[in-house]
Amino acid sequence: MRSGFVAILIVTLVTLGGCAPAESPEDVVGTTTPVTGASALGTIEVSNYPLAYVVERLAGPLVELSFRAAEAPDPAYWRPSVEEIIAMQEADLVIVNGAGYEGWLKDVSLPTSRLLDTTAAVHDRLIRIEASTTHSHGLEGEHEHAGSAFTTWLDPTLLIEQARAASQGLERRWPDHAEYFADRLQDLVAELEILDAELQAATAAAAEHPVIFSHPVYQYLQQRYGLSGHSVHWEPDEAPAEGQWEELEHLMANHRAESMVWEAEPLAETSERLAEVGLGSVVVDPCSTPPSDGDLLTVMRRNTEVLRMLFASAP
Amino acid sequence: MTDILYLAWRYLRFNRGKAAVLVASISLILFLPAGLQVVVRQGAKTLTARADATPLLLGAPGSAVDLTLAALYFRAPTLEPMRYNQVSRVAESGLAEAIPLHLRYDVRGQRIVGTSPDYLEFRDLELQVGRRFALLGECVLGADAAEALDAGVGDYVLSSPASAFDVAGSFPLKMPVVGVLAASGTADDEAVLVDLKTAWVIAGLAHGHTDVTAPGAESGVLERQEGNVVANASVLSYTEITSDNLSSFHFHGDPSGFPVDAVVVVPRDRKSGVMLRGRYEEAGRDVQMVVPRAVVDDLVETMFSIRNAILAVSLGLGAATVATTALVFALSIRLRRRELETMRRIGASHQRIRAILATEVVLVAITAGIIAAGLTLTVSRFGGTMLRLLAP
Repeated sequence: MRSGFVAILIVTLVTLGGCAPAESPEDVVGTTTPVTGASALGTIEVSNYPLAYVVERLAGPLVELSFRAAEAPDPAYWRPSVEEIIAMQEADLVIVNGAGYEGWLKDVSLPTSRLLDTTAAVHDRLIRIEASTTHSHGLEGEHEHAGSAFTTWLDPTLLIEQARAASQGLERRWPDHAEYFADRLQDLVAELEILDAELQAATAAAAEHPVIFSHPVYQYLQQRYGLSGHSVHWEPDEAPAEGQWEELEHLMANHRAESMVWEAEPLAETSERLAEVGLGSVVVDPCSTPPSDGDLLTVMRRNTEVLRMLFASAP
Repeated sequence: MTDILYLAWRYLRFNRGKAAVLVASISLILFLPAGLQVVVRQGAKTLTARADATPLLLGAPGSAVDLTLAALYFRAPTLEPMRYNQVSRVAESGLAEAIPLHLRYDVRGQRIVGTSPDYLEFRDLELQVGRRFALLGECVLGADAAEALDAGVGDYVLSSPASAFDVAGSFPLKMPVVGVLAASGTADDEAVLVDLKTAWVIAGLAHGHTDVTAPGAESGVLERQEGNVVANASVLSYTEITSDNLSSFHFHGDPSGFPVDAVVVVPRDRKSGVMLRGRYEEAGRDVQMVVPRAVVDDLVETMFSIRNAILAVSLGLGAATVATTALVFALSIRLRRRELETMRRIGASHQRIRAILATEVVLVAITAGIIAAGLTLTVSRFGGTMLRLLAP
C-alpha cells in the first residue's frame, strides 16, 4: 500500500515536471531570435515611411516604433506639436532622413545624442536644388543655407547607406543586440542590392525615352539610373490650370517626352488631355507614406515593373 | 567658587568695553583659521564635485582653467569659440556623447547657456514647474535666475546685448519662459537654458523675417542675382519667435561652422575616454581636450597653498594677539593695584585673588571661543551661498 502510494507520488511529480512550460526560443533575449510580446528595448521615432520600414526590418519587435506623421498627407510638410516634441525628446533614438526632409528640425529642440541623421555620411551625394532661390543681407552677407533634394530612398544605394546609419545607431544604443541588428541589415542590404540591379536593368534604355516628372521628387532616381526628364509641379488629384498646360507645352517644345511620371494616379481628364498632347501617364510611387498594400520594397518593385514597361517600348 | 565667579563676572560687566574688545579680538583670531579651513574645504568639495561630474571638456586651444571655469561655472568665456563640426566629430567617433555649450550672452547678468536637452539629463536637473524648451526661442530658468529676473512660466525675458559697443552684433531676443528648474545648489541655478540654435539666433546667425524672394517683396530687395536675392537694410529681423513666424527662421551660412564655446564630452566607458583623449593629444589639433578634475585639482592645490600661507600669517597674528591680551591683563592688574589691595585687606587670600583674575581670563576666553565656534558653524552652513553671492 505504502510503496504504491510512493509510486503514484513519483509519477505525479514527474508528470507535473514534464508539463512545465519549456523555455521558448522566443523568450530568449540577446540572440538572433527576437522577443515577442515582451516589453520593447526602447522607443524609436522616425520621420518618414521608408525609415519606418528600415527600422522595422532592422529591429523588428525589439523596439517600439513611432511614426507620428503616418497620417499626414505628406510627412515632409508635417510639423510636430509641442507635446509631440516633448515625447520625441524622451525617445531612445530619433531617426531622421536629413537632406532637408524635416523642415521642422531647425525649429525644435531634440537631444543631439539621440538624433540620428541617416544621410549625414553621404552629404557629398546629396543633390542641391538648383532651381531654388536663396537670399542674403547686404552685398557682403552670407547666403541662406541652400536646400537639397530629399527623396533619397528612391536610390537604393543611398537607402542602403541610410539603413547602415540606422543600424549603427541601433548597435550603439543597444550593443547587446548588435549581432541581431547586423544580421538583419545584411538581409536588407542584399534585397536592396537586388532591387538596384533590377532597376538598372529596367532603365537601361532610359536615356532614349525622355519623360516629364509631375513633381520634383525623382531626382535621386534620375541621377542613379540616368533618366532623362524635367519636372513640373502638378498634383495628381488636382486639374492643372491653363497656365500649367502652357508651361508643359513650352517644355515639350524643347524636351521630347513620351510619358509623364506621376506620384499617384492622376485625374482621368488630366490623363486624357495628356494623351492628346502625346504624353502617356505612368505612376511611380515615391512611397513617402505607408502603402495601402505591401511595403516599401513591394512598392519599389512595382515601380521597377512600371519603368521596365515604360522604357521597353520603342521610341 | 560661586563668589569667585561672581566677582570675576561683575568686574567684566563693569568694564564691558574692554571685555568686548578682548572677546572680539580673541574670537576673530580663533575664527580666522577655522573659518578659512571650512570655506576652503567647502569650496574644494563643490569645485571637485562639479568637476567629477564632468568627464571631459573640449574647447579652443588656450587656458585649460578658463575653459573649465567657463564650461562648469558659466563664467564669461575668454577663449575663441570652436566650430560646431567639432561637436559632430566627437559624436561621430562613436566613443562619446557630445553636449555643446554656447556661453556668450546673458539676460541681465544671468548667463544664457545654449545647449541641447541632453544637458538637463546629464546634470540631473529636475523641473520645479513647467517643461523643457521644445521650440526655437524658448528658455528654462535656473531657480536663482528666476528669482533674480523675477520671471516664471508664462513670462518673457530679453537677452542683453553682448556689450554696449556691440549694438549691431547680436540680436536682443524676447524669449518665453516655459520652465523653471528646482534648485540644485550648482551654477545651473543661475543659468538661462536655451537650445543652441536659439543662442545662434541671438548671435545673429539665424533669424526670421518676411520672405524677400516672394513676388511683391521689392521694397526689401537691394539686388537680384542669379539664384539669390540680396535684401536691403529695411528687412528687419523678428525680435520674438512666435508660432506665426517660427517657420520663417533660417540660417545664413553653414551651421557646421557656427560657434560653440565648449563641449561636454561624456565617454561611453573608460576605454572610450582614454581613446578619445589619446586622439586629441595629437599635435596640430585646433582644439584641446581637458579633464576638468585635473584642472580643478590644480586650482584646489593653489587654494590650499594660499590657505596655508594665510594660516601661517594668522598663527603669527594669533601669537601677537595672545601677547597683546597678556599685556592688557598685566597692565590691568597693575592699574587695579588699589582694588586688589582692598580685597586683600578685607580678607581675600593671595590664592583667592589669583583665582578671581584667572576666572576673568577664562570667561573672556570661553566667550570668545563660543563666538568663534558660532561663526565657524555659520560659515559651514552658509559659506557656499555666501561665496556664490560674493563671487563676480
